[in-house]
Amino acid sequence: MAWTSFPTREEVDFVVVGSGAAGGIMAKELSTAGFSVVVLEQGPHLHPGDFKHDEWSYTHNEELTWGRRKGHPQTFRKYEHEEAKMVDSGVLNYAHNVGGSSAHYSGNFWRLRPIDFQEASIRGPIAGTNFADWPITYEELEPYYTKVDWEIGVSGLAGPWDPPRSRDYPCPPMPVKASGVLMERAGKALGYEPYPAPVAILSRPHNGRPACIHCGFCNGFGCEVAAKSSSAVTMIPLAEASGNCELRTGCTVSRINTNDAGRVTEVVYWEEDGTEQAQMAKAVVLCANGAETPRLLFLSESSRFPDGLGNSSGMVGKNLMFNGSSNAAGLFPEPVNAHKSIPTTRVIHDFYTIDPSLGFYGGGGIDCRSLTRGLPMAAAMRGGTFSGSSWGSDFKKDLMMEFTHTASFNGHCTTLPLSTNNVTLDPTVKDKWGRPALRTTFMNHPDDLATMKFFMERSMELMDAAGAIKKVGSYAENGQTGGVHLLGTCRMGNDPATSVVDRYNRSHDVPNLFMVDGGSLVTSGRGQPTMTIMALAFRAADHIIQAARRNEI
Amino acid sequence: MSENLLSRRAFLQFSGVAARNSLIVLSLPTILTACKEAALAQTENARFTALGSAEAAEFAAIAARIIPTDETPGATEAGVIYFIDNVLGSSRAEMLEPMRAGLAELQAAGSSMYGTKTFGTLSNAQQDELLASIEETQFFNTMRYLTIAGMFALPEYGGNRNLLGWKMIGFEDRHMWMPPFGFYDADYAAKGE
Repeated sequence: MAWTSFPTREEVDFVVVGSGAAGGIMAKELSTAGFSVVVLEQGPHLHPGDFKHDEWSYTHNEELTWGRRKGHPQTFRKYEHEEAKMVDSGVLNYAHNVGGSSAHYSGNFWRLRPIDFQEASIRGPIAGTNFADWPITYEELEPYYTKVDWEIGVSGLAGPWDPPRSRDYPCPPMPVKASGVLMERAGKALGYEPYPAPVAILSRPHNGRPACIHCGFCNGFGCEVAAKSSSAVTMIPLAEASGNCELRTGCTVSRINTNDAGRVTEVVYWEEDGTEQAQMAKAVVLCANGAETPRLLFLSESSRFPDGLGNSSGMVGKNLMFNGSSNAAGLFPEPVNAHKSIPTTRVIHDFYTIDPSLGFYGGGGIDCRSLTRGLPMAAAMRGGTFSGSSWGSDFKKDLMMEFTHTASFNGHCTTLPLSTNNVTLDPTVKDKWGRPALRTTFMNHPDDLATMKFFMERSMELMDAAGAIKKVGSYAENGQTGGVHLLGTCRMGNDPATSVVDRYNRSHDVPNLFMVDGGSLVTSGRGQPTMTIMALAFRAADHIIQAARRNEI
Repeated sequence: MSENLLSRRAFLQFSGVAARNSLIVLSLPTILTACKEAALAQTENARFTALGSAEAAEFAAIAARIIPTDETPGATEAGVIYFIDNVLGSSRAEMLEPMRAGLAELQAAGSSMYGTKTFGTLSNAQQDELLASIEETQFFNTMRYLTIAGMFALPEYGGNRNLLGWKMIGFEDRHMWMPPFGFYDADYAAKGE
């Protein structure tokens, strides 16, 4: 295949910044529709054969998720009056490679449900928060969820537990694991409706890719056989095959320039060796994720856009949401072997909306996993889960039992959007390029904490019902200090005064600038946002293509 | 220099979904060469690269109390010290001098408690007592971190020889598994649930 190449000093139709969940889809949709596209990606183009079962490298040496060791420090504080401190690994965690975090995710593909889009109206406002309805409904997004199912590749079982769907899953559910059986039996005993987890991992060949071979290295690792449905193996190859898309890896964007008319004209970036380039474009789509997209907007400030590009609302970087999490670990008499196969095979969504009479807002789901992603080093680092032993012969004996005999029931739940939870530029710490480091300010709303506690308690009950010999539960009772779901920081809305992008992901302020990633989400959903990020990307692409053809960009 | 070592609290965070807040770092980032320690893989009888043989023996003796040899092999048989030597000379070079300083403190404590400076010559009970007295220090936590990492990292980093770490806990690194994966899913299939 001849590589497509565009000159930097001639306008391409679109520059897409980021090649992850949204960027990969945007590149494929725009290029196959006939538009010229340049994709700028900071990281390398890793192929299935490049990925390894290397816990030391991936988990401790930032192989995919760059942080301080790779020259990308981040800072964190709970409250705005505090000085943010540098932390070792990322607070905002994401993979730097083609496919972005869709290369190393677990592929849990929960759709949002109708209530997620209108919950503020149905439940009523929550004082002190930016809890709001979405400008779109589930019905509007449903065709795009189905597009994700089929074009990206999702395995699952349609049933009464699912939100309404227009078409069946392309692949049947993955084989149930021991942890899934334990949760299914426990859930049924308690009167719940456990069901097969929908995952972006193939249970049978689909679109030319093979089925999963259950190696166990999904979460935090790249799939060695391309059975995990990342945008790198689903969308990017189609974009490249179109002949209209140039993927430039190792390219770090420094700013987006605008002209006197307030329109975006070019994207400035460094190549890997530090050479500065600027790609001219008719329009720019930022798909850099809920952390990097706001940073780029801030870095692109100008006299016309003094608070950052596209930030007349002041909402860029605000409303950061991670999704709450909690867990209960249980020790079982027989082998569970949660380290084999995919992370989770059963879900319980009976608490999608927690009874408001309990006095707090929240909702979520519970799935079954390994407590430590099935990783030997992580299990040992944690220490004896049920004994607290951390070295010596007892520690060793605990590990010998616990690694194979433990299951974890994990809660994934809502986070409320708050102005005080945000991504900003650190005033002192810089990255290897000299750009201000990402500074996170985050402390959960009390309802988030109550929701996480609620889910830990339900998981503990499930552990009893499952027959756990020992159990221990935990959640971030002092607030979360980081996450992998980077949501809300460029929120979508109809009102330019309170949102950053419109209902089609177009900047309210800059007509030829689009932001499409986790930042677009208005509310957090109950966890597992990538399915929704991808559906939004397909939907935005449809409208961008139509608008471009009408010369309305 | 202790800012390059791990606090107890920071240490525990490594077990989470994503490692974070783990090293207390007060200096601007050092961009190390890509983590290709694998290229420096140790083989049996290899010489140490970062450590002198006397200090290596002391670190090895500490590792041997963290994951001891009892009915089954421990850190010693898994060659954890070769992992430690490898990373203290590469990706964790910033830890080398603080670890030496920590070892010197431990030896001084051993000297005053037992009249013997060399940790490796103390009895197991004395070694455990001494280590228990420094359990909350950054030195011990970093030692524990490196020992565990060396026990369970890919053998190409120098430790986990003959896959002893993985065998110890029942982990097998395979590219393919077939269901059933555990007892309960086998039972579920057998009962036709």
